[in-house]
Amino acid sequence: MSAPVRRTPVVVWLRRNLFRSWVDGVITTVAALVSAWVLYKSVNFVLVTGRWEVIERNLQLLMIGRYPADDVSRLAITVIVLSGWVGVIAGIVHARQVRAGRIDPSATAWSRRRVVDLTERFWIPALVILLLLVLTDTAGPWIMTGVAVVVAIVGRIVGPFIGRRITGVVAGASLAIVLAAVPIVLYAMIVDAVGFDEWGGFMLNVFLAACSIILCYPLGVLLALGRRSRLPLVRLVSTLYIELVRGAPLFVLLLFANVALGFFVPEGLTPSTPTRAIVVFTLFTAAYMAEIVRGGLQSVPTGQFEAAKALGLSPPRQTFLIVLPQALRNVIPAQIGQLISLFKDTALAGVAMGLFELLRVSEAITQQPDFRGQGLIGETLAFGAMLFWTVSYTMSRESQRLERKLGVGTR
Amino acid sequence: MTRTVTNKRWKFAAGIAAIALVAGACGGDDDDADDGDDVAADDTAADEPATDDTAADDAPADEPSDEPATDDTVEVTQDGGVLDRVLDAGTVRCGTRDALPGFAVLTEDGEHVGFDSDFCRAIAAAVLGDAEAVEHVDLETADRFTALQSGEVDVLVRNTTWTASRDGAEGATFLQTNFYDGQGMMVNAGDFESLDEMDGVTVCVAQGTTTEGNAAAEAARLGLDWEVRAFENTDLIQEAFIAGQCDGWSSDVSQLTGLRSVYPDGPDALTILPEVFSKEPLGPAVADGDSQWAQIVNWAIMATIQAEELGVSSENVDSFSDTEDINIQRFLGIGGGEEGAVLDPGLGLPTDFAYQVVSQVGNYGEIFDRHLSPLGLERGVNALWTDGGLMYTPPYR
Repeated sequence: MSAPVRRTPVVVWLRRNLFRSWVDGVITTVAALVSAWVLYKSVNFVLVTGRWEVIERNLQLLMIGRYPADDVSRLAITVIVLSGWVGVIAGIVHARQVRAGRIDPSATAWSRRRVVDLTERFWIPALVILLLLVLTDTAGPWIMTGVAVVVAIVGRIVGPFIGRRITGVVAGASLAIVLAAVPIVLYAMIVDAVGFDEWGGFMLNVFLAACSIILCYPLGVLLALGRRSRLPLVRLVSTLYIELVRGAPLFVLLLFANVALGFFVPEGLTPSTPTRAIVVFTLFTAAYMAEIVRGGLQSVPTGQFEAAKALGLSPPRQTFLIVLPQALRNVIPAQIGQLISLFKDTALAGVAMGLFELLRVSEAITQQPDFRGQGLIGETLAFGAMLFWTVSYTMSRESQRLERKLGVGTR
Repeated sequence: MTRTVTNKRWKFAAGIAAIALVAGACGGDDDDADDGDDVAADDTAADEPATDDTAADDAPADEPSDEPATDDTVEVTQDGGVLDRVLDAGTVRCGTRDALPGFAVLTEDGEHVGFDSDFCRAIAAAVLGDAEAVEHVDLETADRFTALQSGEVDVLVRNTTWTASRDGAEGATFLQTNFYDGQGMMVNAGDFESLDEMDGVTVCVAQGTTTEGNAAAEAARLGLDWEVRAFENTDLIQEAFIAGQCDGWSSDVSQLTGLRSVYPDGPDALTILPEVFSKEPLGPAVADGDSQWAQIVNWAIMATIQAEELGVSSENVDSFSDTEDINIQRFLGIGGGEEGAVLDPGLGLPTDFAYQVVSQVGNYGEIFDRHLSPLGLERGVNALWTDGGLMYTPPYR
């Protein structure tokens, strides 16, 4: 874009690109005025007129809801251990890929380029986390974040050694089991003390989305395969499921799970509300995921299926080794779009199920004696929007990076 | 070849197992948490008979006899019912909300504070002897009755108007009204003097409440042309009102008073018209079909009113321990009189429930002063009957 500016004078460039005809001129002027006005209003709101005290004083409520103060240390431990866990897994995966010759080890060696690359990837979430930390008035979150970052880096450094050392099938399987056990132990530790109903704030949104994403993905893939199955019953069930669930509004499903479940399930067996939300989000997104994956499956050329057969692979291996990897790769943008949408939809759980998630906190805190009647809903919603946008945009950026890495659209 | 295939299968199986584990972790019910609660509940249950010998014969004995507690009466409590669930769980699940100034708002620490919240605490104090043993469940206006019917909450104290269809079709049983309200109209000062002058105007109300229908009915009754616009919450109405999109703002007078007191241009910029055009008795509700629980909740609420009438408050309740007044003795569960017997009316409540309510939460006047007076609300019709108000309870004997 900047190339013509260097070659041609600014006036000429402007005339060519923005004022070619009088219609262009009008559109340009109007658009420029509107954007300038919006920009001015936004900056003015954030820096001048916005009254952010309501956010500052209620930050804990916004982030973790009514989670009991005595047990916050459990959350901190969870965050720290999970950071290390992610670091170790990233290290192991990296080591495996290097060994398989899929990536060049020098690309990830510590260099200026690598630092720039990481900064580019994570500066927005880092900035937002820093902002949140600045707003807190206790040292706890600072310590937690600091330790978590250090642990993640240590995990990333240690990971490759583990990945290189543990190679056999049995050892690999045990490693997988150990790694899978970590989140479960953490989960037990948190839920044992606090239970689900006390969860709230942005933490709840993230938790609902994370669990639903992990659960809906395999279910979606299985449904997509089921819909293309040669067995009539499997095909029928998958198709019915997909069409039924896709035909119902998410809001209605959430309401149903919230209010109607109590009439069918005996009291005492009814799952907690967040569990119901996770189930609904999972089942709903799986149906959409199935159609996206099916699109991916259809984009794999017939030749690939035939080649897989010609190699003498068993049908499951044809699918899981040859067809699915290509199919999933082809539909990364659509998949991530669906997952981002799922993440944002967690806000619906507040309205439909009364969960105390970010949106509801945003509304509730404007009615506190110190803040009511001041029309602060704009401030609190803007804060919530920022958090949602940060996570969604990071997901989107990371998916684009993944696409580039896997060469979607270029090969 | 076969071996590699087997290996791959193992890997695949391990992968599936890992997914299943994660699934179990995420989707699993909070059994563990429940276990934790149960332990806590057992503690309270165990404490109760220890601290209060009468807990056993508070059981809903078929005949309220004066026989000492026997195993039989304990067994009666094992029959289903909300009381047993509450005693088992050690908490009262109270349907409430989190953003209604004066009635229930969240503090920065996530505590529910307000007039309604205090009545939730009063019920817990009466039943469990601990005002903090409340689980506040925030409910949306639209699903509050469903939550009550499906047993998600034990009692609804959520600024809810007692109407015939709610008593009937909604399956709720309304109890002692704890706040008499009525719908009014607020306008910019000087715009209108009475409702009759408001013709061809836009009236803004909150969605999903009785307010919406009342406004339309009142317009029809007066033969006026009102456009009733519904908004999702009061903040949005206020924005619209300031922006001049509404000529009138209609809601319960208690709400309007509170909103007027924090209006950005000062309370004097607004006038609440003298006409009150609906009756809005607000009170707690329980689900139909459990009259024992309904009576328990009723008497817990009435205890606050009775206490005010007797002049008993959280400040002075302990000074009545050697009172000679038979009414106060009965009410506070103090043995007195010639036989020294404690009155047990057989409600299924501990005999000292009123003492617990008053000492931990306060009497009606205290609760009102704590939460509603700061909004600028007067006692008005909510004064005691002895002061010309509507607060009147049956005698406790």
